[in-house]
Amino acid sequence: MAVEARAAAAAGAAQTPLERLRPFAEAFGTLAVAGLLLLAFGLTSSVFLEAANLRNILVQITVVAVAAIGETIVMLAGGLDLSVGANVLFGSVVAADLAVRQSLPLWFAIPVGIAASAGIGLLNGVVSAVIGIEPILATLGTFLVAAGLAKIILHSSWIVVDSSFFADFVQTKVFWQLPVMVIAMLGLYAAASLLMRATPFGRSIYAIGGNPAAARIAGLPTTRVRIAAFALAGAFAGMAGVLQIGQLGIVSSGNTTGLEFQAITAALIGGLSVSAGGVGRVERTLLGAVIVGMIANYQTIRGVPPNYQQALLGGILLLAILVDRLIRGRA
Amino acid sequence: MGGRAPNPPAHGLGTTIPTTPQPALRMRGISKRFPGTLALDAVDFEAAAGTIHGLLGENGAGKSTLLKILAGDYQASEGTIEIAGEPVTIASPRDAREHGIGIVYQELSLLPNLTVAENISLGIEPTVGGRIDASLLKRRARETLASIGVAAVDPERKVGELSLAERQLVEIARLLTIRQPRVLVFDEPTTALNHHDVLRFFSIMARLRDDGVAVIFVSHRYREVLEICDECTVLRNGRRVGHVQRGEASLERLVALTLGQRGEAAFSRAWRAEEDAETVLEVEGMAVGSRIHDVHFSVRRGEIVSLCGLLGMGQTEIARALIGDGDRVAGSVRIAAADGLPRTAREALRRGLGLIPEDRQAEGLFPDMSVRSNVSISSLARIVVAPFVRAIEFARERALVQGVAERAGIAPRVLGRPMRTLSGGNQQKALFARWLLRGTRLLVCIEPTRGVDVGAKIEIYRQLEALARDGAGVLVVSTDLPEVLGLSDRVLVVYRGTITEELDPRGTGEQRLLLAMQGGAVGEKVGLVETEVVG
Repeated sequence: MAVEARAAAAAGAAQTPLERLRPFAEAFGTLAVAGLLLLAFGLTSSVFLEAANLRNILVQITVVAVAAIGETIVMLAGGLDLSVGANVLFGSVVAADLAVRQSLPLWFAIPVGIAASAGIGLLNGVVSAVIGIEPILATLGTFLVAAGLAKIILHSSWIVVDSSFFADFVQTKVFWQLPVMVIAMLGLYAAASLLMRATPFGRSIYAIGGNPAAARIAGLPTTRVRIAAFALAGAFAGMAGVLQIGQLGIVSSGNTTGLEFQAITAALIGGLSVSAGGVGRVERTLLGAVIVGMIANYQTIRGVPPNYQQALLGGILLLAILVDRLIRGRA
Repeated sequence: MGGRAPNPPAHGLGTTIPTTPQPALRMRGISKRFPGTLALDAVDFEAAAGTIHGLLGENGAGKSTLLKILAGDYQASEGTIEIAGEPVTIASPRDAREHGIGIVYQELSLLPNLTVAENISLGIEPTVGGRIDASLLKRRARETLASIGVAAVDPERKVGELSLAERQLVEIARLLTIRQPRVLVFDEPTTALNHHDVLRFFSIMARLRDDGVAVIFVSHRYREVLEICDECTVLRNGRRVGHVQRGEASLERLVALTLGQRGEAAFSRAWRAEEDAETVLEVEGMAVGSRIHDVHFSVRRGEIVSLCGLLGMGQTEIARALIGDGDRVAGSVRIAAADGLPRTAREALRRGLGLIPEDRQAEGLFPDMSVRSNVSISSLARIVVAPFVRAIEFARERALVQGVAERAGIAPRVLGRPMRTLSGGNQQKALFARWLLRGTRLLVCIEPTRGVDVGAKIEIYRQLEALARDGAGVLVVSTDLPEVLGLSDRVLVVYRGTITEELDPRGTGEQRLLLAMQGGAVGEKVGLVETEVVG
């Protein structure tokens, strides 16, 4: 036993260069990548660094970025939520249906839409944390449920939302010419960051994601926290849905196709792991979303056809995961 | 049992076959050096064909190293190995197999999703025209299982559905199918088995012996060794300290050989609880499943009580049942004057109980969180701004954690670092600090110093004593004899699922304690165990 302990100590002392890089990579890796891309794109395109284009990128990423907040929280808790995309749609459909077709006031329609998405999240939490079904399977099921419910409400049609309130999301600029929805996104990130950093709930999420067995022995209410994480992710999806109404002005079932994967991609590029929770930061997911947005925008500027863009984004995601593995030494 | 002269061997297991002049296995002058340690020092070990040979010794005595050399996992620094008189080199596990050496480890290597038959023939599947011959596969499995007297295991069942005992049988059958071994090692095979399965296991070992295999039985259970082995070899600190033939062996002799003469206890207590302190834990008639029964004990404020038994005797299950981890728990439990057994860890905590688990990495630590967060995680309610303002007040957290970290002997500068960067000793101290901060009434520690260096051990003992001094009761589960004797106010010996003896560590020697753990009494003439009729 003494021998093993010594061997372990020796192994700990001999760090590879990659391992020594790890703390820096964790703290600044995503930021550095974002900076490098900004530089590279700026040098190779004359329009990329224009203020209007940069603002445009932020508007483009808002919906995915807000949905990715919830995705990040679930992933930090050691889960995965495949239902976010459908849940964004569900929230926006409920809100738009109540506001436009039922002519109910917005102060009612919007909270109900968000609550509907939170309800789907709650279902995710109960199915995975209480019944014990793998989150990836549970949320695959609710993905179909949410998408189906949204289509039922839509009646195979769409809802045009002609409301100055929603139009202001994009049109009204608050400061630095940034529109309301971008400010809302930044505000939600700030709130989520505080929640994860400075509350017992956030601590518990990290603990449960990092080591569920230890979290139980430490006396944390593991089931409750997991359910709350999923429900919260649902609420963020609902908020993303409301923002999307403002961005597009129309609610239709094609709005959110592939959104869950964009959200997961943003979280992964921001340094989260699908296989293990407990490591990562919400604000880095925002950087991940910005990186995804910059790449998409640059490709559009360069005239890359949309189908190629998707394949390229997938390649970048694989690269990000590979680099992460190398640095963290997780196999 | 006590007082009987050596019985004639039960169920015909004990007939000694005369040692052949050429032993099946002869290891001579085996030394193994690791950086800074001599794990084995010129050890001789011989096992004859057609005998069962016990290999005994404490943890760290060198048994595993010797086995790993035999298995081809390690290379000896010095020494020679002969198989049936022929000098051999065992450079890899493959070499070991080719020389007819088979080892059954505690961790079995079966694939749970395959059937028994598929596992037995894994890698050597019989084929017809390129496809696996399923009927031959099954027949082969049935025949091999029958050859060791096992008819009850269905070859078509999935291995994952079998009990541990049954899986061991499959593992043996697999070894036999690959190649009839000349030397077959069983590494603590009976630790997790009940008495019935142990007897079945013995009959298989006897059968293999009668087939001419040199069987090596590694065990901490000396009664079993005495029952089944023809001879045994005892290692201590990397040396061979004894070789005993069947007739000469007794529990006391084996215990004395294992431990030798040792000096002072690991720790000497500076403070002890008052005799009339109030009780924090009272357990009456506890039973857990079918393995633990009739457990009665209590722990007072300020007391350190040890549950001490050989691995698998049930002490860990008793401790874990207290935090709601038991399956089918019966009996009455009183914790800090409140009745009833906690059903979940969370409830146990609310009742004032804390657990230091045996596997720190798996159940104790949050490796990527800071040491500070690891300490405060069980006291989150104490570091929020107000009960209804659930925001963490970082200044308060810092101050509180710093306070307990000092008491636990953790340097303040490491508090901000990720837990995984700390040494084993410091990690364990951080877990203590967690419970210091929470203020537990009863701390249950399972193997608190496992994998911790000597200096840190003493500090952990001091921590436990300090905790007791602050008024907590401490329940320690440990198999480390010097630790148990140096640390405890009372020692409760657990044997076969119940507490069989209470010892006062003052005036109790290690040999006396180990003898009690083996289920033996002083002066008892044990050449053989009581034989129980199995239904």
